[in-house]
Amino acid sequence: MKLLSPLAIGPATARNRVFFGAHETNLGAGRALSERHVAYYRRRAAAGVGMIVVEDASVHPSDWPYERAPLATECSQGWAAIAAACHGEGSLVLAGLSHAGGQGSSAYSQGPLWAPSRVPEVNTREVPKWMEPEDIAAVVEGFAAAAAAAVAAGCDGVQVNAGQHSLVRQFLSGLTNQRDDEWGGDRLRFAGDVLVAIRSAIGPDAVLSLRLSCDELAPWAGLTPESAAQVAVALVSEPDARVDTLTVVRGSIFSVAATRPDGHTEAGFNLDLAATIRDALSAAGTPVPVIAQGSIVDIGQAEWAVGDGARADGVEMTRALLADAELVAKVAAGAPERVRPCLLCNQTCSVRDARNPIVTCVVDPRSGHELDDPDESVGRGSGDVLVIGGGVAGMEAARVAARRGHNVRLVERSDRLGGALRTAASGSGRERLAAIAEWLESECRDAGVVIELGRSASPEELSGDVVVAVGSVQGGREYTVTRAAVVRSAAELLAAPEAAPQGDVLIWDPIGGPIGISVAELLASKGRSVHLVTPDNIVGNELSRSGDLAPANARLHQAGVQLHRRSILRAVKKGSVELEDRFSGERRTLRAAVVVDAGHRLPDTTFDAAVGVVRAGDCVAPRTIHEAILEGRRAALALDGIGRLSDGVPMGSSQHG
Amino acid sequence: MAERLLWSPLRIGPVTVANRVVFSAHLTNYATQDGLPSEQHAAYYAERAAGGAGLIITEEHSTHPTDWPYEKLIHGFKPEVLDGYRRITDAVHAHNTPIFAQLNHNGGQASSMFSRNPVWAPSPVADPLFREVPKAVSRAEIAEIIEGYATVAARCAAGGFDGIELQCSHSSIVRGFLSPATNRRIDDYGGTLVNRARLLLELVDAVRHAIGPGLALGVRLCGDELIEGGTTIEEAVEVARMVEATGQVDYINTSIGVATATLFMIEASMHITPGYATFIPSAIRAAVGLPVVGVGRFKDPIQAERALEDGHCDLVGVVRGQIADAEFVAKARSGHTDDTRLCLSCNQECVGRMGLNRWLGCIENPRTGRESQGVGKARLTRAPREVLVVGAGPAGLQAAIAAARNGHRVTVCEREGQPGGQVRLAASVPNRAELGDLVRNQVSECRRLGVEICFGVTLDSAEVVRRRPDKVVVATGAVAARPWWAGDAPNLCDIREVLEGVAAPSGSVVVIDEIGFHHATSVAELLADRGCEVEVIASGMVVGQDLGITLDMETWWIRAGAKGIAQSTELVPMALVEGVLQLQHHPTGQMVERTPDWIVCAVPAVPAEQLYFELRAAGLDVDRVGDCVAPRRAHAAVIEGERAGAAV
Repeated sequence: MKLLSPLAIGPATARNRVFFGAHETNLGAGRALSERHVAYYRRRAAAGVGMIVVEDASVHPSDWPYERAPLATECSQGWAAIAAACHGEGSLVLAGLSHAGGQGSSAYSQGPLWAPSRVPEVNTREVPKWMEPEDIAAVVEGFAAAAAAAVAAGCDGVQVNAGQHSLVRQFLSGLTNQRDDEWGGDRLRFAGDVLVAIRSAIGPDAVLSLRLSCDELAPWAGLTPESAAQVAVALVSEPDARVDTLTVVRGSIFSVAATRPDGHTEAGFNLDLAATIRDALSAAGTPVPVIAQGSIVDIGQAEWAVGDGARADGVEMTRALLADAELVAKVAAGAPERVRPCLLCNQTCSVRDARNPIVTCVVDPRSGHELDDPDESVGRGSGDVLVIGGGVAGMEAARVAARRGHNVRLVERSDRLGGALRTAASGSGRERLAAIAEWLESECRDAGVVIELGRSASPEELSGDVVVAVGSVQGGREYTVTRAAVVRSAAELLAAPEAAPQGDVLIWDPIGGPIGISVAELLASKGRSVHLVTPDNIVGNELSRSGDLAPANARLHQAGVQLHRRSILRAVKKGSVELEDRFSGERRTLRAAVVVDAGHRLPDTTFDAAVGVVRAGDCVAPRTIHEAILEGRRAALALDGIGRLSDGVPMGSSQHG
Repeated sequence: MAERLLWSPLRIGPVTVANRVVFSAHLTNYATQDGLPSEQHAAYYAERAAGGAGLIITEEHSTHPTDWPYEKLIHGFKPEVLDGYRRITDAVHAHNTPIFAQLNHNGGQASSMFSRNPVWAPSPVADPLFREVPKAVSRAEIAEIIEGYATVAARCAAGGFDGIELQCSHSSIVRGFLSPATNRRIDDYGGTLVNRARLLLELVDAVRHAIGPGLALGVRLCGDELIEGGTTIEEAVEVARMVEATGQVDYINTSIGVATATLFMIEASMHITPGYATFIPSAIRAAVGLPVVGVGRFKDPIQAERALEDGHCDLVGVVRGQIADAEFVAKARSGHTDDTRLCLSCNQECVGRMGLNRWLGCIENPRTGRESQGVGKARLTRAPREVLVVGAGPAGLQAAIAAARNGHRVTVCEREGQPGGQVRLAASVPNRAELGDLVRNQVSECRRLGVEICFGVTLDSAEVVRRRPDKVVVATGAVAARPWWAGDAPNLCDIREVLEGVAAPSGSVVVIDEIGFHHATSVAELLADRGCEVEVIASGMVVGQDLGITLDMETWWIRAGAKGIAQSTELVPMALVEGVLQLQHHPTGQMVERTPDWIVCAVPAVPAEQLYFELRAAGLDVDRVGDCVAPRRAHAAVIEGERAGAAV
């Protein structure tokens, strides 16, 4: 495979073309890189990744974009440890270097944001200070000093961030650079100065990589693919900089989520853009390796991109490597189908959030928790295990128990595996979720799990090692429902969307997560007249972390879904509903033939009386795929005496959270 | 010290407090990433002890690993906290002030994000903020919770605390059990009030057993959850009677609201009347003989004394008042109440930072949370310099204060006839008036420090140079900007012009909110009060997008509804042609129009930076602070002024 062939990058050579790109993790200890970082990167290196770019470090104290954003002057020790660990496993290591400029935060530094011009940040509306010449000189010097330190610590080189959250891009773009001095007259000057200063600091033997936003998706003043190609050629042609490689991304102040969108955007969306830039570099006689980024999570697409598709020379598969750290090893072993799929859900890997969540993955909760969680595949068990319930939690428990050597039988009362995930995946734009159900089923079968569909477990079977993962039931309804009124749960509706009675559909969404919205989109796409009711001020209140908040609202508006905010569902009658304004208390009546309740569900308590069983997933408390996998995995480990149980529920004891 | 009751001592079980002012429990986010108490904690509490607080109650200590709702929570369940406990209690005891530890398990008011374990609660009822269905705890788990409280209580005793408070009020598994809204159990922990109170009474037993008779034990109860089907005052009084009947409890603290559903009523901003929750201690005190603590926007000693005199409570919780001024008690007691840096109840840097996972500070007190770093402490200079501050807004005044504190000779020149800059204007809206205390406090501090403030003096660079100051701090603020789409259309003005009285919009008014805080909404209210028909338009998803941070969103919506103010979102102004305002609905690209009589703009201002650059060019030693660097909020101005002034 071309994907697994070596790639020369300036003075270095990556053993293959699969890269773990720079991304925020919140794994740091204060502003230093931590042991958790080392373990996180080492795990990917050990499984064969070609090159790793360490989480961006701020190159100057004026930049503190999130609380645990690494600060270059505190990173030398961490860079050294990461470089040593990953070199030992055969990966190249670059240090990510950045300054977020006007897209940072003044919350932590308690000082003004620095930016080329006084353009307010689109989301926070914070107005930055325009940088004076000595500020510019200080940041250029910061880049050079940080790069020298990273290389001295043993990194193979550095990557300069001119992507969606970066001062370098802000100088390049007409959106954010409105200066009338030499840094505005020549918008490339700052980037050029940074690159030249770095090269001068690191010498010829280290790699200098540039991560460049090549489409700001704001053509009225922003970088477009055409102008970005010129920028790329100009920067790469700068002889005193000798940029060794270019990573092509997109996005800017108006579209930060566009760089790493969730599954509503097609996989590999950026490959054509990468090709445009790569072709331009070739045509200009500066054919440095181009690395593609952007929801590249499928092995076939990745191979095509670097092979026949001729889109790029290498690919960042960052989220895919969160879902399966052993992706490269599995592909190398000729078993690409065994790679655990990334769902592009962004649920737990997007960590730009004031609460400082640490990076992890819904389908591999050990990601980011390498120092907390045992490797579930290591260890030997034996004996018979019965798993009741073939949803995500049950299948993960069965998979892990079987891989550890148990004889596992899984019984599922319906005729299909996947449980609540199957219904969730039938929502609009959520189809990719089904991939984890399919993978789990295939892994279970491969590991020898005996699967019995269409059968309920009987009480007599509840002896020996039993995992109960029977899921959830419809939740309570906190509104009155008169006779002949039609109310469906979101699960019922998704299971049979055609079966909803004709007429207006009203979706009651007290959660603001993806379920209510995907049901609304699904129904609207089928031509139904749809109302979405939320008690919040914002529709899809919980979607900001995954980056889908603004896109979801735009899709709903465009689909003609009528949004009723600040409203509480009080009564459902035949043909109508009564809503109450959350603040004024006023009630109003809306016509609706059917109400879909997208609210919280309740645990299935069928087996609550069973003693000595291990319980996992929604039957403990209805939550998401993430908790189902985590608990299912822990349930299997608990059978081997690992961890502790409370009320039959396996509990972790994370030191770091 | 006119306050007779406020300064009288009181016995709380085995502990005697010197006065009735309590620094009640509140989140600080000072704990480390690993849940340990910090040096920041110790210095913060010690400062309030030194300032004369009668009693300090720490923020909550979690009693069980399943309870980790926010990152920087003290993990009382970890034995390693003990050193931090001793550091705090030693620091506070040095001032002869008693300190209690508050113990808690937040129950269902949490998520599993940090703990990676199911959230524990009486019943699988999702909290409206965290939106995660909890696991209903089994009897064995209830026993484990109780054991957790007892263990941590004993650890607190070993760590030197003088008492324990059980948070059973606004964010607690105990509240979860007490409240019919969240307790749907059918065993003997659910149903009747006696059953719902069972966990509380078992905890009282276990904790008293763990700490023995030498420590005080208190219970903090919620008097009204302000939610549907929740606890109201009648049941709270009943629970207080049960608590007293145990004979093991020494005092009762009170609160109002639920931290996640009705938080805006727990830490009410200036839009809610001072003393708004006093009915709760009042009703409880009428029913029990134990000392009762009242809380809820007690702003000054006179108001506090009045609550005691009227018999509403025995002690008064003053939290934000002592965040703003650690010497709240000492100043009042010594007859210098006027010197108090009065809290504004703005909620910007105290409450407002908690939800953002940042350490607690204060909009007007740069020392808060930075006590251990020496911020705001006088370091008298041996070589006093002549300092000229240009501009008497919050940035300039704070620079003057910080420089004068260190012994420099400071003159402030202000172009206007009054101090305060934008804060003065913002506070001219009637229901934002308390914001003006920021300026009054600064001016009075300037006066005490001997700062000379000259009004009506406009300085150009030549005049500054002529005065030959040793140091200049430019704090000239920012000037209103006209948005690009406005052209030279008439009947369009900035919010400042409305507040200055330069413009008087009438009839139908569109207010454009491009700032997202109180700027647009407060002017909209002012105009509605004057009889205008007002619509606020924002390009974002909500008008006043940051009002939620300071707990002002709910009350804004309630007032806006009552005043008939319309709100429209996701609309971007594109052009104003002959009185027709054209707006693009950006999610769909559709154009809509408005034809108001007036348009009022709340848009970012332009820094008045010319003087700064001229003085630099002239070679003077000059700094600039506040909006003339970049237009931001008051705290940025104060903190920058403090830094520049302290650096003189």
